[in-house]
Amino acid sequence: MTDPLVRVEDLRKYYFEQDTLVDRMLGREQQSVKAVDGVSFDIHRGETLGLVGESGCGKSTTGETLLALREATGGSVGFDGTDVFGMGRAELKSFRRRAQVVFQDPFSSLDPRLTVGDIIGEPLLIHGQSDSAGRRERAKELLERVGLSAGQVDRYPHEFSGGQRQRVGIARALALEPEFVVLDEPVSALDVSVQAQVLNLLEDLQEEFGLTYLFIAHDLSVVRHICDRVAVMYLGEIVEIGTTDDIFDDPQHPYTQALLDSVPRAATSEHGRRVDALAGDVPSPRNPPQGCHFHTRCPHAREACRAEPPAYDVSEGHEAACFRLDDDHAYWESDPIAQNATGEDTSEHAPESTSEAD
Amino acid sequence: MVSPRTVRNLKREWRDNWLAKVGVVLVVAMVLVAVFAPFIAPYNPRSQSLDDNRLPPMGFSKTENQTSSEFVDGEAQVVSEEVTINATWDHPLGTNQLGQDMLSRVIYGARTSLLVGFFGTLFAMLIGVPIGLVAGYSRGRVDDALMRFADVMLAFPSLVLAVALVGLWGRATFRIPDPFVALGLAPGMPGSVVIPGTVIAVVALVTWVWFARVARGEALSVREEEYVKAARSLGASDRFVVWKHVLPNSLTPILVLGTIQIAAIILLESALSFLGFSGTTLSWGFDIAQGRDDLATAWWVATIPGLAIVLTVIGINLVGDWLRDALDPGLGGEGGSGA
Repeated sequence: MTDPLVRVEDLRKYYFEQDTLVDRMLGREQQSVKAVDGVSFDIHRGETLGLVGESGCGKSTTGETLLALREATGGSVGFDGTDVFGMGRAELKSFRRRAQVVFQDPFSSLDPRLTVGDIIGEPLLIHGQSDSAGRRERAKELLERVGLSAGQVDRYPHEFSGGQRQRVGIARALALEPEFVVLDEPVSALDVSVQAQVLNLLEDLQEEFGLTYLFIAHDLSVVRHICDRVAVMYLGEIVEIGTTDDIFDDPQHPYTQALLDSVPRAATSEHGRRVDALAGDVPSPRNPPQGCHFHTRCPHAREACRAEPPAYDVSEGHEAACFRLDDDHAYWESDPIAQNATGEDTSEHAPESTSEAD
Repeated sequence: MVSPRTVRNLKREWRDNWLAKVGVVLVVAMVLVAVFAPFIAPYNPRSQSLDDNRLPPMGFSKTENQTSSEFVDGEAQVVSEEVTINATWDHPLGTNQLGQDMLSRVIYGARTSLLVGFFGTLFAMLIGVPIGLVAGYSRGRVDDALMRFADVMLAFPSLVLAVALVGLWGRATFRIPDPFVALGLAPGMPGSVVIPGTVIAVVALVTWVWFARVARGEALSVREEEYVKAARSLGASDRFVVWKHVLPNSLTPILVLGTIQIAAIILLESALSFLGFSGTTLSWGFDIAQGRDDLATAWWVATIPGLAIVLTVIGINLVGDWLRDALDPGLGGEGGSGA
């Protein structure tokens, strides 16, 4: 296999609270929120990697941090062999040319005071194309390409529907002919019927321009439709990564299993199926559980899960961060721990009742 | 930069809101009066006629004890008789202590007040808006430093600051020849317009803080918009983002604040002229100061310029309200919820 286009290694992004001057003078301890806590994955040229997880698990932060839109706390991102975080000004600017992003909210991602022609031409202006007629021509071209009409070049964003705006956002991302596009939940704000159109457009564009996508989403059916590989995130960590078929047909991690189980289905045979929703809420990333982050909600949790975090290896085709996949692990010898419904409480004293386990 | 929706909102508010019309009429009238003062004013506002001092405005009369000495039976006698002085159409708004025509003075005073109001606001914006935008956009220490400085300015009583600055710089005034008079179209009128530089500088230095605070608040919210993030992901420099995105999207509340501040600045100008800092006597504030001594006998000398201030301030505030109502929902409706 050739070198990946994007290689993310142990990426970390912590937010610090109590970080103001006053806090420092008072000697308050900094509290960190670990939004992204040691994420690694590769994205190969021409593929679409899906990044899924509940809201607040750090998907979008991962996407923005790997584009250097947010300063990473640790780890590295290699883009075509170059370290993104070590780039100088000029290098970073040419990186921005090659790596683009499409945002979730098509209402907030377009400046309401610019015409769509100006919006799509903006990347060209930033990258030194000062001739405005040329920018306008290119904007018209791109509008046509994303399924709008060139005659709409002088309209303002509020004159468009959500789906049309998202097409404008895509046209802007394509203006610089990038190689890599981060799609940050590009369809989750759209109606279902429009979602399909935009997804098809994204697939067509990928084929036409040989794009590489990082597709961030929480909607699993959308991910199944468009992604070649999928990484599942939970509380700032990747718990499972593999090809789309592997993940959907043979999920290994209990979290992935629960996530797939919770998808509503259309088949009549499934009517009335009881969904065993996960107990409790996502614990606060301010104080994530020790060991495996998922053990507070995992139906298979045992004492060993508290002791140390499970690891996974990106180079493998299909990997999950769970001790249960290792037949020889101490996990199998340790005692089950019961679940508590609050989720956030990671009390060290296991309650007597263990009825929920397994 | 003005979207069709904004224009639509402006029109709708204009239709539904009769106060907006009152405001616009008042402001337009004041501006016209100020510009064409040499044609409108019946007299040169500086020319004195001491015989006609303290004439009452139309509809009023005043009684005055006139004393004269007469020789009655070879003896000098002081005769005091009560005389009623009626207003005349020669001076519809009366005259002041020096017999200067109040109507002419109020008309010419509009020039000073509007000049100071407009330029003072403009300079306050030019100082405050960039500082606020930079502070709000950069956040962190830059923000802390700039805003603490602004807070210090805010804590300072504006009149004290004004007095200190005038003391520091003295009175800087610029005389600009009045084009109408220079062309010989309005003979006998004052030949120049005085721009009170010190007063403009002082009001700008006193009021920029408000613009900085509003601009900062707007920048804080605009910088979180995804189109700002999008511009940065395209490789835009901070300067580009602030100029192209943050400034245009912060402008509406700043402009609305501007209209309100013009009114506040006119009041501040009156206070400064009242204290004698403007370098011209043709000012509503100066006339109020003059009339204060005669409130008991000639109340109109202070009241008429006071009314002019009230009308102008009300007019500008009404226009500001109209702009605020018309422009705010336009943007509020356009933005979606954030991620």
